[in-house]
Amino acid sequence: MHDKTARRRRAVLVALVALSLILLTAYFGESPNGRLHSVQRGFLTVVSPIQKGANAALKPVRNLFGWFGNALHAKHQLAEVRKQNNRLRAELLTRIDDERGYKQLLRLYKLDGGLHLSDYRPVTAEVIGQPANLWYSTVNIDKGSSAGVQVNDPVVDGEGLIGKVTTTAPDGAQVSLITDSAVAVAAMINETGAPGMVYPKVGEPNTLVIRYLPANTPVSVGNYVVTSGTISSKGPSLFPRGIPIGQVSSVGEEAPYKTVEIHPLANLRGLETVQVLTAAPGSAPAQASRVAAALPPEQSSEAAGGTNASQLASAGSGG
Amino acid sequence: MSSQPNGAVVARVAALAVVVVFLQTGIVSEVPIFGVAIDLTPLVVAFVGLQCGSLAGAVVGFGIGLLVDLTLVQTLGLTSLIFTMIGYGAGRLRELRDPRAALTPLLVGAAAAATSMIGYSVMEIALGVDAPVSLELLRQIIVGVALDTVVALPVWALVHRWLAPSLPEDPRQRRRSRRAYTTGGLSPLSKA
Repeated sequence: MHDKTARRRRAVLVALVALSLILLTAYFGESPNGRLHSVQRGFLTVVSPIQKGANAALKPVRNLFGWFGNALHAKHQLAEVRKQNNRLRAELLTRIDDERGYKQLLRLYKLDGGLHLSDYRPVTAEVIGQPANLWYSTVNIDKGSSAGVQVNDPVVDGEGLIGKVTTTAPDGAQVSLITDSAVAVAAMINETGAPGMVYPKVGEPNTLVIRYLPANTPVSVGNYVVTSGTISSKGPSLFPRGIPIGQVSSVGEEAPYKTVEIHPLANLRGLETVQVLTAAPGSAPAQASRVAAALPPEQSSEAAGGTNASQLASAGSGG
Repeated sequence: MSSQPNGAVVARVAALAVVVVFLQTGIVSEVPIFGVAIDLTPLVVAFVGLQCGSLAGAVVGFGIGLLVDLTLVQTLGLTSLIFTMIGYGAGRLRELRDPRAALTPLLVGAAAAATSMIGYSVMEIALGVDAPVSLELLRQIIVGVALDTVVALPVWALVHRWLAPSLPEDPRQRRRSRRAYTTGGLSPLSKA
């Protein structure tokens, strides 16, 4: 009797482990349009409304816990923000004057027909799921293809860039955050305009990095990094220009290059409400997104603002 | 747990699995403490194993793991594999040692959290994810295990309270009670 029980126990364990390994191998080996991915998308479609309902019902509990954390965090930041506010007020007066001149120049050179936020239709979404482990920099949101959300659409919140959409279902979508190893963003140092590609720092999931900046690039700690909108003159990035990404936290000199570390502005571990920038049909971003989505995963992910998507996008848009 | 699980146990375990996955993904993961979120799922898997045995632990581990992978659109089979081992391991501990100490759930919780986090790291590195071991990763694992250990006892209490009414009485527990009664230790008369 005992032997029979032990045999059955071992057989079940072996079967479950084997099934897990088969799933793992099949999932890893198939394309994003494969059967298991489709099952996952189908499941997302089913659970998204349930998650949304549960999320809404349990929001007060989450807010209560969040309130304690936010109160401590806010107290710590208050003094810093006051100082920053004074400095920014002084800067604002100067900037208003600069902006007026800038707009005149834009009109003069007819450069305002490029990629603008007017090409996008923001869709507000609630975050309804987030993994606990740090190996997945993704969140699930409650808006999907029925709201116009498509793969590769940029996602932002009040602080800045969050990431891009990587999977969609009718009533839900998965967003890969900018700290995900599969996402790269064309960016520039806001103060100097120096361009570069922003990647997550390997091994430090909360830090971003710009590698291979020329050694003479003017950049210092505290500078802001924003999306550049283009990575070359050949075509647009998937991310519109000027979205804040982060603040430079350190600058490493490794002649002949500089490596810049960036702390993301958005609190990526406490996201609640985000905006998906869905592209208006026929606009340049829509074409760039469509072409990038058609690329193999390893190319399209690299080219969230990357060369391949950009070049193909420009070809696709006739540029 | 008896060799043939009754319907009430299965229903309670299934409800527990669904609730814990939604609670984890919808709330707990969004409240980071020291930059790390508590992970209730390996704790629940381990405690189901600790209470119901290795077979149930492995099956529940596989189920909860699959649910997590499907809900969060993660690599399918990865969490199932790790949680199957956690559930089975906790169940075997109960079957071989029958630990009765009050701190057992604390140690089992810590071991489950550590197995889960280290297991993820090893599997992800084996699958070629570009993230070698770093101090930050180590810090997150240590903080994560510490947080899970802190909540292990309350989680054990809830899981135990939820499952105990539907479980058949453990023969070993019955023998222990009888022995204590006949030696006077737990006699209701001795309390009078």
